[in-house]
Amino acid sequence: MHWFESQLAELNQLAEDYLQSQQLPGANIVNASETIRNKRKQFMEAVQNLVDKVGKIKGISACAAYHDGLILAQSQNMPAIDAFGATVQDSVRAAQQGAAMLGLGDIEQIVIVGATNKVAMLNVGPLVLCISSPKQINLAAALSQAV
Amino acid sequence: MSNIHLINTRKSNSGEIDSILRNLMSTQGVTAAAIVDSDGFVTHIQRDSEINTDAIGASVQVVFGAAARSAQHVGHHSTNMVICENTEGYILSTPIEAGFILAVVTQRDALLGRVRFELKETIPVLKKLFNNFLSN
Repeated sequence: MHWFESQLAELNQLAEDYLQSQQLPGANIVNASETIRNKRKQFMEAVQNLVDKVGKIKGISACAAYHDGLILAQSQNMPAIDAFGATVQDSVRAAQQGAAMLGLGDIEQIVIVGATNKVAMLNVGPLVLCISSPKQINLAAALSQAV
Repeated sequence: MSNIHLINTRKSNSGEIDSILRNLMSTQGVTAAAIVDSDGFVTHIQRDSEINTDAIGASVQVVFGAAARSAQHVGHHSTNMVICENTEGYILSTPIEAGFILAVVTQRDALLGRVRFELKETIPVLKKLFNNFLSN
């Protein structure tokens, strides 16, 4: 498992832990509330850390995370964040319809390749992680090395 | 003994509500987080600068009420969130229980998706806390 895959696995685990914390029996809602809040904080901090790290990788133009098409975390060099959000929303919706017709299962990633740049969108828990780079960059290779 | 327990429960519920508001304040760009009751009075607030709490409370209730009526006019049923996009930032308001509303004021540089995500995830817990609080 290369660097980015291990980071994604860690993020997915934190998202799962957060979801689990919401399903704990709520006999003491005050304690449960604190647990849920802390788990969400851990997840969100991990998302921001990963976005920051990916945004600094050589060959990667920008990285951001979206929820329902709205910006949630972004690397320093993120241009056109609203356009990215709209693209994420449209792409995910179209892909979900296609996936249902073709029996693909839940969408894990979508890649749009243009003549000059490309965008990869990856589902992580309730979020979509968006990575953009020039077309000729091999994303798997670029993301394989620890930052 | 049971009376003492009752008071402690109310106190800890209220303390947890303040903790939730403080947590919202730690989100980038958020400058105030408040709970407003059905009459427009602020019952809990966390803020990083002086703001007119009476004005915030009343205006949040008015804006939310107007948005909710608009939603009903177009057949959208209940309103889950109202987002006011202003020149210098956003005001987001979300219903909790019994007419109480959670309102968050942000600067322009706030990440709207982040604030909205926090609100959406916070509301189910706040609803339980309020049910607990109001039933004691």
